[in-house]
Amino acid sequence: MRDIVSNAVDAAVAAGAEYADARVVSSRREELSVRTGRVEAVESGESLGIGVRAIVDGAWGFAASSDLDAASVAETARRAVRIARASATTRRDPVRLAPVDAYRDAWTGPCEIDPFAVSVEDKLGLMLAADEALRAQRGVAVSKVALDFLVVEKVFASSIGSLIEQRYTESGAGMTAYAVSDDEVLPRSYPNSHGGQAVQGGWEAVLALDLAGEAPRVAEQAAALLTAAPCPSGPTTLIIDGSQLALQVHESIGHPTELDRILGDEAAFAGTSFVSTDDLGTLRYGSEHVTVTADATIPGSLGSFGYDDEGVPAQRDHLITRGVLTSLQSSRESAAAIGRTSNGCMRADGWNRIPLVRMTTVSLEPGDWSLADLIADTEDGLYVETNNSWSIDDRRLNFQFACEIGWEIKGGKLGRMVKSPNYTGITPRFWGSCDAVCSAEHWRVWGVPNCGKGEPMQVAHVAHGTAPARFRDVEAGVGR
Amino acid sequence: MRLSAEECRALARSAVSMTQADQAEAVVAATDSALTRFADNRIHQNVAETDTQLSVRAVVGTRIGVASTNRLDDAGVAACCERAVASARLAPEDPGFPGLPSPEAVATPDRTSAATRAFDAEARAEAVRGIIAPSARRELVAAGTVGVSDYAVAIANSAGVDVGMDVTDVRATVLSMGVGPGAGSGWSSFLGISAEQLEPRTLGEHAAETALRTRDAEDLDPGVYTVLLAPEAVADLMDFLGYLGFGAKSFAEGTAFTSHHEGEPLFSGSLSIADDALAAEALGLTFDFEGQPKRVTPLVDAGVVRGPVTDSYYAAKLGRENTGHALPAPNPYGPMPLNVAVAPGDTPTASMIASVERGVYVSRFHYVNVEDPMRVVLTGMTRDGTFTIENGKLARPLKNLRFTQSALDALAGVLAVSKERSLVGPAEGGATLVPALLLERWAFTGQTG
Repeated sequence: MRDIVSNAVDAAVAAGAEYADARVVSSRREELSVRTGRVEAVESGESLGIGVRAIVDGAWGFAASSDLDAASVAETARRAVRIARASATTRRDPVRLAPVDAYRDAWTGPCEIDPFAVSVEDKLGLMLAADEALRAQRGVAVSKVALDFLVVEKVFASSIGSLIEQRYTESGAGMTAYAVSDDEVLPRSYPNSHGGQAVQGGWEAVLALDLAGEAPRVAEQAAALLTAAPCPSGPTTLIIDGSQLALQVHESIGHPTELDRILGDEAAFAGTSFVSTDDLGTLRYGSEHVTVTADATIPGSLGSFGYDDEGVPAQRDHLITRGVLTSLQSSRESAAAIGRTSNGCMRADGWNRIPLVRMTTVSLEPGDWSLADLIADTEDGLYVETNNSWSIDDRRLNFQFACEIGWEIKGGKLGRMVKSPNYTGITPRFWGSCDAVCSAEHWRVWGVPNCGKGEPMQVAHVAHGTAPARFRDVEAGVGR
Repeated sequence: MRLSAEECRALARSAVSMTQADQAEAVVAATDSALTRFADNRIHQNVAETDTQLSVRAVVGTRIGVASTNRLDDAGVAACCERAVASARLAPEDPGFPGLPSPEAVATPDRTSAATRAFDAEARAEAVRGIIAPSARRELVAAGTVGVSDYAVAIANSAGVDVGMDVTDVRATVLSMGVGPGAGSGWSSFLGISAEQLEPRTLGEHAAETALRTRDAEDLDPGVYTVLLAPEAVADLMDFLGYLGFGAKSFAEGTAFTSHHEGEPLFSGSLSIADDALAAEALGLTFDFEGQPKRVTPLVDAGVVRGPVTDSYYAAKLGRENTGHALPAPNPYGPMPLNVAVAPGDTPTASMIASVERGVYVSRFHYVNVEDPMRVVLTGMTRDGTFTIENGKLARPLKNLRFTQSALDALAGVLAVSKERSLVGPAEGGATLVPALLLERWAFTGQTG
């Protein structure tokens, strides 16, 4: 694969590229799913190809092909150059890239037990046991258990002399019990919704979740939701669990602080941002309790790597420091536009996609509360767990989230269960109302393997470290 | 240069014959696609891709395994077939599996365009210049895409299914935005088979005009309003109705409104919806991913709930006709309607606006998601052209509004359906053919700003 990427870069330069890079990516995946006692999928897949980026006359072109024959690779490189020339016909200022050193290196993510070496029988055995335990609960009409595994090997070369090889393994697992009546479908998931939890790691990560052991509790809560009270409507004090807060961080901090979005690159699709580059160092994004990092160096996180997909080393950066915006997630091009160097956030969804600015592990840093103390300190409010739905406007200001389950808080104690709690807010006002974050012992990195961005659509695997946190005067029970 | 439909069919037949199982099915998808993306009035991303994917479903008894690859040398194809068989041997029996379907006659109209195939990077750049010009002339900023897709899909199975089809499509979008405080935004899009149908300047003019009209947008108090949803907004409603309600899987599980209301007049009598991949305006394939003909399937008939769409598995499970709506195996979603078409009404959109004394016009939604699947309660934002309707005219531009609304409730109050329809969608697999709808009640629950 080293020769292939090097030859591609050489061919692009020979065709007139001022800068070129190439990635060969080989991926292998396995997906299994069980639904209400039926094995729905035992599926494996593989993909191999090359993508070449080129700058010609100050403009970008990209071409990708699954044909790795030498002549085809050279033609793919020349196609990228031709496309770049077409792009240049609308150019104003030429593309400028922030400087980066040339690296010749290799990086491998953590994996103790290769999930592809574990038999399908063992995987299905674990899944069927969990599924059976979910369905043992009266009121649970539909159950779902899913496992996903991925291994990626990629080699990157660029015309500045980098040659970087990387390999990582991802494992994901989760389950959901659905309580169903004639007019409601109420999910309850573990360890998270939308497929569960995903990490860089192997089969050991699946075993650690103990799906079958947790299934009775999950199913019991699902069934209890059928008779739970509706979510009260109106402003309230809200305590949000870590998994839901991960998505809150994702939508209302992660995306708005992507520099390409701020510069307008995503305007027509995912939208822009209420943040401007002039806000660096001055924008009050949240309260003093809100410190947020972007960190690509956390072992086992979906957001970790050795180098991003334009050869920039993994970094840890403070996006928000005690409530004030201090940095933005960037690429070489976007960083140059504001006179900075890249903090290494460029990743592509495979060989056939260009890298875009993507979140790494964007985390709300822990505070010093225990969850028990935080609830005890709350006279009247609502505690919510596990995302069920998310929506946010095109400037990342007006959001609305729904969760799977909640409990009223009365007099410092959890009270009655509520079904389908939701809440809405405006981003800086919401983060400004944060008056407490739980401590490191409650802090956990949540994988988000379904982050959509770009056209053609790309799905990134990102992550967020969060602990439960409290927010004052939040509008809940919208439309309930 | 991608494989043709005939070459894809040959590869699919070959893979079926190489699969050592009781039954086998192969899906081959070859694509040559390109997308020119622009922002800030210049091309900033410009990509092209060539790929061919093979997916094999092997059946041993009633045990099923699926494997896929894009490594299409002999060894790669053989390994894919072997992995599918190996997975099938390890899977438990699926007593409900009815066997792979037999061949059925499939109509394969010509849905390709030489003009689209010739729409190369230079031609796309020229189109982008045409789209941008109306915005640049007005000191607005344009962003969007001009993309082409040229693909073939073939399906073969051991029961004799052997179908294939070439397809092209062109899609263009433009968002025109003002700069600075009070700036507005406008949107326009095109979707069709042929690049000859694309009119870049017309597209750019519409978006730029709307951007100017939406400057200095005003507040609107949350509440229930009469709304006129333009086709792109209606398409979002239809996509969620299809996803949540009109697939046989959720129907069979009892988690869809159709499970409990089939045959009931849940919607206004003026509303009829079908899945129709054979319509003259439709894009994409006329067969599903089991090689079965996509049958025209009524989903709502003059307000009465019909459906759902099926594939071979759910047709057998429910004792219904196979409507030909399978997605690629193993398909966790179940069969889905991908060519939803809402029957046109007889009212011009202009007359619909003229009939409203006080209401809200929505050009399109942003980031819609579901809060309650059974009642299809959706939340999302408006974007790029929201206005009050006052005394029969589009009046004041509005800030982006959040809604939280049951689609079932809203579609029970259809006041008028427009004569004109638009094709909306991402095109992959199909698109939605929709009119504008005037709805009696729509709940706006917040706004940005």
